[in-house]
Amino acid sequence: MYRIYVYDGNYIALLSLILELIKRNIKPDNIKMDDYEASLFDEVINLQVDLDMDILKKMKKSFGSYAINAMYYVYLSEEDNKELLLYYFFLNALKYHKDITFRRDLKCVSEVLRISQYVMHEGHRMKGFLRFKELENKVLYAEMEPTNDVIMLVSHHFQKRLKNEYFIIKDVKRRILSIYDKKKFVIVPENSFILDTDVLSDEEREMEELWKIFYRTIGIVERKNDRCRMNFMPKKYWKHMLEVEDEL
Amino acid sequence: MDMNLQEKLKILADSAKYDASCSSSGSKRSNKDGIGNAAESGICHSFASDGRCISLLKILLTNACIYDCKYCLNRKSNNIKRAMFTPEEVCQITINFYRRNYIEGLFLSSGIIKSPDYTMEQLIKTIELLRNKYHFNGYIHAKAIPGASDSLLKRLGSLVDRLSANVELPTENGLKLLAPNKESKKVNEIMNYVKNNQSRKYAPAGQSTQMIIGATKERDLDIMSKSSSLYDKYKLKRVFYSAYVPVNKDSMLPSLVRPPLTRENRLYQADWLLRFYNFKVSDLLNDDNPNFNILVDPKTDWALRHLKEFPKEINKCSYYDLLKIPGIGVKSAKRIITSRRNFTIHMEDLKRLGVVMKRAKYFILCDGKYFANSSVFKKNFIEANLVLEEKDMSIVNREQLRLF
Ligand code: SF4
Repeated sequence: MYRIYVYDGNYIALLSLILELIKRNIKPDNIKMDDYEASLFDEVINLQVDLDMDILKKMKKSFGSYAINAMYYVYLSEEDNKELLLYYFFLNALKYHKDITFRRDLKCVSEVLRISQYVMHEGHRMKGFLRFKELENKVLYAEMEPTNDVIMLVSHHFQKRLKNEYFIIKDVKRRILSIYDKKKFVIVPENSFILDTDVLSDEEREMEELWKIFYRTIGIVERKNDRCRMNFMPKKYWKHMLEVEDEL
Repeated sequence: MDMNLQEKLKILADSAKYDASCSSSGSKRSNKDGIGNAAESGICHSFASDGRCISLLKILLTNACIYDCKYCLNRKSNNIKRAMFTPEEVCQITINFYRRNYIEGLFLSSGIIKSPDYTMEQLIKTIELLRNKYHFNGYIHAKAIPGASDSLLKRLGSLVDRLSANVELPTENGLKLLAPNKESKKVNEIMNYVKNNQSRKYAPAGQSTQMIIGATKERDLDIMSKSSSLYDKYKLKRVFYSAYVPVNKDSMLPSLVRPPLTRENRLYQADWLLRFYNFKVSDLLNDDNPNFNILVDPKTDWALRHLKEFPKEINKCSYYDLLKIPGIGVKSAKRIITSRRNFTIHMEDLKRLGVVMKRAKYFILCDGKYFANSSVFKKNFIEANLVLEEKDMSIVNREQLRLF
């Protein structure tokens, strides 16, 4: 039997669980969100753990902010065994403290740093690749399908940049919305908000057309390089980018 | 000149596209109750069919020009359609594109109409409107017009994030030949002015410049020497190299089939070595060897010519020695330094530290070990392998890779 410890998906809950496992000297075979599909050989264990609201503060003090940011990014990733990875990272961080991020000879450290880089990179990419449409009521609306859960990172960015606009960002795959009302943004399940995204503002089509013209014009034909374009802008993002969606 | 916006945009983006610079980094302008801010690391919003990053709405205010630079599509003697944006139109497009997150900001240049001062005034008028009426706080890169007066340079620089002027050709002779109306003295005056005034309030992202590659006979040595002196004299953030695309037929111009992209790539790589790897032009090129090796990158080329200095021991050699090893960059060199304070680095750790092993392995020892039998440590063998390696890669614009 594999002993699988479950948590409810919340980050603090995950960290509290990991800490509790370490305290009790339990080595889990895996840690999963409670809605995962258990196999026949899994013994699912739902350990009752009190949420430790100060855990981030304590971790920051002893592991340093670079390490705890990296851990958070791993939590946002789609990596299969990310929880177990974080468990091992946590275990080692208790030993090496702030030097933990220098220990790339440990697999769990090099993996956490690699994955966190990847998530951060995708968050950064989304800040560029996201496309808003202007709806009739001047609300800006965007759909995206990032591999990792970057809606928080992206919303923070646009909250500063477009602070005097209303915007809604939808993560299509995760079925969540980020809604910004000129003061703050909230992230809610898609079905908790009724949204008519079909009625566009009068200018919308004209602007889209101008952008496509610009896009087609700015590439230098004599330098055409599809491979290079695809390296920087992988096809998985094209569906929501109006200037290239026709080329799919 | 009655023309719709679509047609204007097409003409004025088309005539701006040969300017290589599209970077939006280096400014921290914040959003004071308007729209937009600048992201210090820069953001690419799309990539064009040629693989270049699209960050800024890159346009000319007008493609009409009183000058006749031989290499330029907009030169006076070309019989092409001319267009001009009104300041209001530029603002409309910029704001609308920006709100929809198509762009990071505006790159505005212009053909020269009436006089340099008059042209500058039009640029200033446009950007003032964008900053003051539309409260736009996103990134703006403007081109200064050589020959414009200091008072105009002062105004424009205090509105934008980056202000720059293009050197265009690396030597005075080249300029005389192809751009008879331009004087390098005037470009230098601008760069000098920007250098002396640059601050948090004046062109906070500094200045850059561009050279056209392959339109004249200059050697790589001439080009790199020019770059190096520009970096020293004017504290430039970047020199861009733009492979010449033959847009005009002229007896003064070479008739190229394809723009010299590999050469352009070599220049970018060497430029990087000057700025971040502690190399000097004289390390890379000299009168006997005035052009880069097209087959391998400049650092590998250097390493092959200095094979006596290798292999270097990863656990011992200095930071600057690490930087000399092909396959090791600034990031991986720094990681090696911090790692080896904590543990002895073995061959299998190197990949995790970001070292490109297929290049580096020939040049290093790790904890005393060489990757193979030491009999392979020969110039011909290594060179042959690395040339094949290079052939495998598409010509990517490496400088874009560094954005992240
Ligand atoms: S000044 Fe020369 S390079 Fe600039 S637009 Fe006029 S002709 Fe072209």
